[in-house]
Amino acid sequence: MTLRVRFNFSRILLYLLFLVITAIVLFPVAINVFTAFKTPMEVMTSSPLSLPDEWQLSNIVTAFDKGNMSVGFKNTIILVVISVVVNTVLGSMTAYVLHRFDFKLRSAIFALFFAAMVVPFYTTEVSRFQIIKSLDLYDTLGAPLLIYAGTDLLQIFIFLQFIQKISTQLDESAMIDGASYFKIYFRIIFPLLLPASATLAIIKAVDIMNDMYIPYLYMPSKDLHTLSTALMTFVSSRGSDWGQLAAAILIVMLPTIIIYLSMQKVIMSGIAEGAVKG
Amino acid sequence: MSYTIQKKIVIFTFLLIPISLLLLFLIYPTIRLFQFSLTDWNGMSKSFNYVGFDNFVQAFQTPEVWKALSNNLLYFIVHVIFIPLEIMIAVYLNQKLRASNFFRTIVFMPYIINGVAVAYIFTYLYNPLNGPLNELLSVVGLESLTQKWLSDTDVVNYSLIAVSLWRFSGFHVILFLAGLQSIPNDLYEAATVDGAGALHKFRHISVPGIILVIDLVLFLNIRGALQVFDIPFLMTQGGPGTASTTFTVYTLETAFKFNNYGLASALAIILMVIIIAMSIVQKQLIKVKGD
Repeated sequence: MTLRVRFNFSRILLYLLFLVITAIVLFPVAINVFTAFKTPMEVMTSSPLSLPDEWQLSNIVTAFDKGNMSVGFKNTIILVVISVVVNTVLGSMTAYVLHRFDFKLRSAIFALFFAAMVVPFYTTEVSRFQIIKSLDLYDTLGAPLLIYAGTDLLQIFIFLQFIQKISTQLDESAMIDGASYFKIYFRIIFPLLLPASATLAIIKAVDIMNDMYIPYLYMPSKDLHTLSTALMTFVSSRGSDWGQLAAAILIVMLPTIIIYLSMQKVIMSGIAEGAVKG
Repeated sequence: MSYTIQKKIVIFTFLLIPISLLLLFLIYPTIRLFQFSLTDWNGMSKSFNYVGFDNFVQAFQTPEVWKALSNNLLYFIVHVIFIPLEIMIAVYLNQKLRASNFFRTIVFMPYIINGVAVAYIFTYLYNPLNGPLNELLSVVGLESLTQKWLSDTDVVNYSLIAVSLWRFSGFHVILFLAGLQSIPNDLYEAATVDGAGALHKFRHISVPGIILVIDLVLFLNIRGALQVFDIPFLMTQGGPGTASTTFTVYTLETAFKFNNYGLASALAIILMVIIIAMSIVQKQLIKVKGD
């Protein structure tokens, strides 16, 4: 009897703990949503914790318009689509070659990717900036595209795990039929890698959508703004009109939240895969 | 075409672009960084002079650099202190709770939200006048705890670190959870048969089972804490004064605002050395513990 009571009591504590965590996570987001739908007058006079009297859309409309959000969406989508496709193809090709062939420079290439991972990303920008400039890529979509397209060690490791599961007998039987290595990659390996690619692609897409650093440094022009940099510009130009700022914030954070909620399983399994086996 | 020749062609064509990108945008800039660090280059003029290790000497004599480093250290320490808590939450999430899927979704959500949006949400939350956080504290009767979250030099770093925790802790929890789920269930069952208690099982099965994830999270913490950029940059610009500046914020200001590329490059190299050194120390520690 006492055991049962204790059991229930610890369960209740557990639920309480998770409710507190849920509150901590949702509180900032909820406040932002409330503020986004309030009139300027309401933001000034009502408690910031209160719900809006009337959920009105004018802040959203103004923020979308004045915040340059349509340009932000357009550029973000261009960057995401092109870099994710190129990145996936390059990553899987690299993994294919590194797994299926033995050659002299193989370990040197692994070492190179490892070295790249150790380099502190933010500060190398000091010299990468010069390279981008000398390639005439400054203030073009080309700069972030080339930077995002490159593959990295973690990605290669995840692809390698999936290639390992594709039997080499498939390659061999294709070779008996006279298929070239190119054909084997494009007809057999790449299609079989697609599930793995989907996971990596979604994670990469979210990363790119949320990045502010590369677009901020390399694309200052207004018509090259992404969602992140459009929001930065809007905030610095609007001072403290918190209703409109909250609306702009809401517009910018919504896309990734929607992607996350609809593809949660894929995203989490991908991250778990990378963590446990990578 | 013979397969030997084909092999060479495939290796070359498939690796050409990825390796070129890697060399051009990561390896070459790093080499240039070493070169710049020995010069007085301002980032614009055609020529520059080699000044030996002057930039490194200057870096270590600049109080802001030490201030920034100590701030980074604070991020690191607080995040490390949170690791046991994150593991505990992962252990709880791993139990069969009725709403565990919902809680999992919630816990991971902050990591997926746009970082710029997060920074500005918290800027509003921390607003000293009629801001939501101070308001909340007053409502629940904790008025004495209200602060000037971002303008009090004693408080500002903790306010910013709290944002970083909000953003990344859930991600770590999910990583730990993945580690826990990779441990085969029969290990626990066998231990139960042998009469092991919950704590015993945690120490001798769970912790060794997730040691690689702990290693990964520590590595992420070292890299993350030493490179914190967007949160202070967007929320305080390193201020008030230099109270909340971090190493990366200071480095990029040195380069792009004060046009001192030589010094900025030296700072970047110092950061690289610190990250590598800390990672090596960490690897050794984990090895000792793992044995």
